[in-house]
Amino acid sequence: MSNAIPENGDPIVAVHNVCKEFHRNAITIPVLMGINLRLDRGDYLALMGPSGSGKSTLLNLVAGLDRPTSGTVTVCGESLEKSSESRLARWRSRHIGFIFQLYNLIPVLTAYENVELPLTLTSLPRRERKEHVDAALEVVGLSDRADHYPRQLSGGQEQRVAIARAIAADPTLLVADEPTGDLDAKSATEILDLMERLNREFHKTIIMVTHDPEAADRAKQVLHLHKGVLVEGLHAVEGA
Amino acid sequence: MQVLIYIWRNLKRNKLRSMLTILSVGFSLALMTVLHGYMAMQGEWGKEAEKHGRIVVMNSQGFSGTVPIAYVDRIRGMPGIDAATPYAWYGGNYKEEQMPFAQFATDPNAVFNVWDEYHIDPAELAAWRSTRSGCVVDRRLAAKRKWKIGEKIPLQGTFYPFNLDLVLCGMFDSPKNTDSLWFHWQYLDEGLKAMNAPGSGNAGTIFAKLARAEATSGVAQAIDDRFVSSENPTRTQTEAAFAQMFADMLGNIQDYIRNIGLAVAFSLTLVAANAMAMSMRERTTEIAVLKAIGFSRLRVLVTVLGESCWMTLLGGTLGVAIGCLCLQLLHQINSQFFPFAIHEMLGAWLLYLFAISAGIGVASGVVPAVRAAQLSVIDGLRRVV
Repeated sequence: MSNAIPENGDPIVAVHNVCKEFHRNAITIPVLMGINLRLDRGDYLALMGPSGSGKSTLLNLVAGLDRPTSGTVTVCGESLEKSSESRLARWRSRHIGFIFQLYNLIPVLTAYENVELPLTLTSLPRRERKEHVDAALEVVGLSDRADHYPRQLSGGQEQRVAIARAIAADPTLLVADEPTGDLDAKSATEILDLMERLNREFHKTIIMVTHDPEAADRAKQVLHLHKGVLVEGLHAVEGA
Repeated sequence: MQVLIYIWRNLKRNKLRSMLTILSVGFSLALMTVLHGYMAMQGEWGKEAEKHGRIVVMNSQGFSGTVPIAYVDRIRGMPGIDAATPYAWYGGNYKEEQMPFAQFATDPNAVFNVWDEYHIDPAELAAWRSTRSGCVVDRRLAAKRKWKIGEKIPLQGTFYPFNLDLVLCGMFDSPKNTDSLWFHWQYLDEGLKAMNAPGSGNAGTIFAKLARAEATSGVAQAIDDRFVSSENPTRTQTEAAFAQMFADMLGNIQDYIRNIGLAVAFSLTLVAANAMAMSMRERTTEIAVLKAIGFSRLRVLVTVLGESCWMTLLGGTLGVAIGCLCLQLLHQINSQFFPFAIHEMLGAWLLYLFAISAGIGVASGVVPAVRAAQLSVIDGLRRVV
């Protein structure tokens, strides 16, 4: 596996002519058609579109959770369509940080332990893991809640712990699916501020699926998907 | 380390379900521990008996036949025999109690030569020898019953139609609590003769001490050959084989125990598998999250299997501990049938029970674990990602 972060000039995400179909019984359902996309280091992309337009499917392909029916997906130097399941699992642990709509923290683990979870997949010694976790919780402003369980936190705090978990292993790419979809306006603003800061200060490359125009406005780029086709966007390029 | 924390906390996630599963495993393993402990005790009994070079002569038809008392002297005179004594089970009731301890009619002049690892004060032995209605008892039995020398011990016959009025003349020390009382064979025989009752002149069984323990098979064969043409042909076997015969009288009890144990293990597997399947179903999204952040299939498989094994091993440990406690209590209550304390019979059978517990854990966890490992992250996350 190539763990190397692409050199300057090489894209973090390169999606080339990707199609994705699902099969239900004898019916073939095309979800993505001829998608081309390029994201460079420090990009912050918002993917918008109506339900069923293929946003989450495209996000899954970029995050290495699914494979295209045709076309190529290269993320952080790894050709995802060719990689085995176990290779992809290792690759995700190194390069991808996930932020889910429903936070998806492990309820039996404390905030600290949740943030530490992806680090247990690395070879970092305990002391260094602690440094990473402390730093991540510091970034999201929850150092004082390290020993709290998710049930003891508000929705906004849970999402901030989830973001800390996503950045703890210092991944190359953050993927977020409706990160503010389950939050009140105040918490949503805090989360969007935090993500903007991660992009601006820490140069994290972010791809975010959202229905919320206000959230999309925070991104540097906005692409719309309609019936499986990218219809507008700054970096949607032919033959990327 | 964090995986262990995760496994442990998952067990506490639904405390009632985990507790019930652990208790079901624990209760069943406690039962299996008692049954397997009993079998192990039989084995220990046999091994213990092998050490002392004793053989047992009985009628070839088993306990339904008789061994004439005259055979005792003939056996004593055979090469390779150091001592021999009649040993007849009396099986009487003591006061209101039905056969509360073992009672044997034997020869006071020979019995301590046959059981030469037992010890008695010479003065007490002399007193017993000279008192026809005298008896000696295991010192632990006397202590339990608070008997003292001179104690009157009336026994009411059940097999034999002759009651005994015994006087305690002495107490012997044995390596294991035998819970036994020994009295004059002649006292019983004279009583039976006086009543013209059947059974007189019968030695019951004959126990003999060999000059060399390793000559068992040759001497046993010589004894059986000697009486093969008599009216009462004999069957001679080692004390260990004799002990095993009692176990065998219960039928294929060991096979029953093993088969029942396997059936219990199978049903427990289903119970634990149901608990694990429910637990995994409730955590589908969580498992998908673990896989999304980089947990490999193998790691997910090991985590789920670890959880099921941890749960059944907890139950197994609890069950084995309770079972051992029961065996120890049985030993203290009835050391005649449970002659070994638990620390004297520790062995592979206990490891077998722990292996059964772990096996139940693996078997019950394998389907949920494989399903979790094969779970599609996208399906597991559903609409989340």
